[in-house]
Amino acid sequence: MKSLTIRNLSKTYFDPYAGKHVTAVHDVSLEVAEGEFVSVVGPSGCGKTTILNMIAGFIPTSGGEIMVGGNPVRGPGPDRGVVFQSFALFPWKTVLDNVAFGPKMRGMGRAERERIAREYLDLAKLSDAAGRYPSELSGGMQQRVGVVRALANEPDVLLMDEPFASVDAQTRMTLQEELIRIWQAKRSTVVFITHDVGEAVFLANRVVVLSKGRVLEEIVVDLPRPRTWDRLDEDPDFKVLSHRVLQLVRSA
Amino acid sequence: MTVLLKAWSVYVRMTARWPAVATIVPFLPLLAVWWITVELALFPRVFLPGPVEVIQAFGSLTYKGILPDYLQDSVMRLLVGAAWGIALGIPLGILIGTSAWAHKALWPLLLFFQAIGDIAWLPILVIWFGYGLVTMTFIIVYTVIFPIVLNTVLGVRSIPVTMHRAAQSLGAGPLRVLLEVVLPGALPNIVTGLRNGLGYGWRALIASEIIVGTSGIGFLMFDARRAGSVVEILLGMIILGLLWSIVDGWILAPIERATGQRWGLVAR
Repeated sequence: MKSLTIRNLSKTYFDPYAGKHVTAVHDVSLEVAEGEFVSVVGPSGCGKTTILNMIAGFIPTSGGEIMVGGNPVRGPGPDRGVVFQSFALFPWKTVLDNVAFGPKMRGMGRAERERIAREYLDLAKLSDAAGRYPSELSGGMQQRVGVVRALANEPDVLLMDEPFASVDAQTRMTLQEELIRIWQAKRSTVVFITHDVGEAVFLANRVVVLSKGRVLEEIVVDLPRPRTWDRLDEDPDFKVLSHRVLQLVRSA
Repeated sequence: MTVLLKAWSVYVRMTARWPAVATIVPFLPLLAVWWITVELALFPRVFLPGPVEVIQAFGSLTYKGILPDYLQDSVMRLLVGAAWGIALGIPLGILIGTSAWAHKALWPLLLFFQAIGDIAWLPILVIWFGYGLVTMTFIIVYTVIFPIVLNTVLGVRSIPVTMHRAAQSLGAGPLRVLLEVVLPGALPNIVTGLRNGLGYGWRALIASEIIVGTSGIGFLMFDARRAGSVVEILLGMIILGLLWSIVDGWILAPIERATGQRWGLVAR
């Protein structure tokens, strides 16, 4: 687990249809401390997914630098685990083999990588699904596997791109609570992208509000942990913070 | 009414226990119509022999050893052609599917040569290689390879980019992405391509045996025409259909069930 440093990050595309350059991310700087949980929130088109894709190394930057534990990012790598909105589980692998994939890439033998996979599946109460294929699971279950697969590879930083956006509201609340529980057990450094203000505040130590490719404001969330929706739903501090973030996002 | 329902229930239980029954039953009315037509003597027997004569011809040709030999020749030619088609087609499909440059350079050529068609090559092949195995193998490989390449390209390109990204961010290098993502992801399409390719290849083989062959089921049928033996022509046609049903039902369909369907990539 390491810190994440982003300095003066920018991304410019050439749009061949419009015939001009478009700036998606403009001079963004962000420091995420070791073991910190940061939510990045903003309306669609604000550049939040572009930033995440650059941190993950999926797309090149146009300027600035990204460093994990002091090492500059060049392309995708196992030091940054990613949880995708579309889950991106391998349909041809069982749940166990999906979770064991990272350890397998690190050259671990079958017995050891399966032991690690089972340990993490236990953590998310997924042991019963180990032998099943992703298509046999519900959306909520699939994303649990997606989170566990990223964690089982023990990345320095966990990047989550609107991971719960495509599951139903009840399942989403459960997944958020489980994520908090697992994060508290493992204390990973997390960057969590979302457009859901309540989700951003509920999960994070700090919420970064983006607008048109720039950081609009950062808000520290000092709500006590462990957090559950039963406790926070009517909590006045949570309401005040959520309201403030919502105002910022709407003004963005 | 209750008798019909009972019969239906027996049929449903039979097919559940022996799935082959469901394949055989539709042929029974066809056989009956054939038999009745022959018995009514609507056509001279020389033009349309009955099922019994065909079975007799099967018996005598098998006894003489001609049919097993010819069958073996045809199947071996198909297997050799298919093996080459697979060995060349899958790597080529993966190259075109993964590399934008290879796609730009090769795709138009592929479409052009696919349009020429197998049999259209025969005249020039006969001049180049004569009447023989080389010509036939070329025809089969040519026929098998296009469905395999085109379907492999389709399969490779239909893998979502997040699948590649997920593997990369879990530490997979290019070779691992190829083996763990590209190949299994494209496999259901590859199997479909193989299924189509073998189907077309089988037909091309029979056609080329008729024209350039000296043995094989196609040759058997053409030779029978020369001798005026309709029985053997019918026998050849039935064997073609049967053999394909066996290859498709016992080899290709199980592969499809074990891959794409099992993984939920293809609707059951």
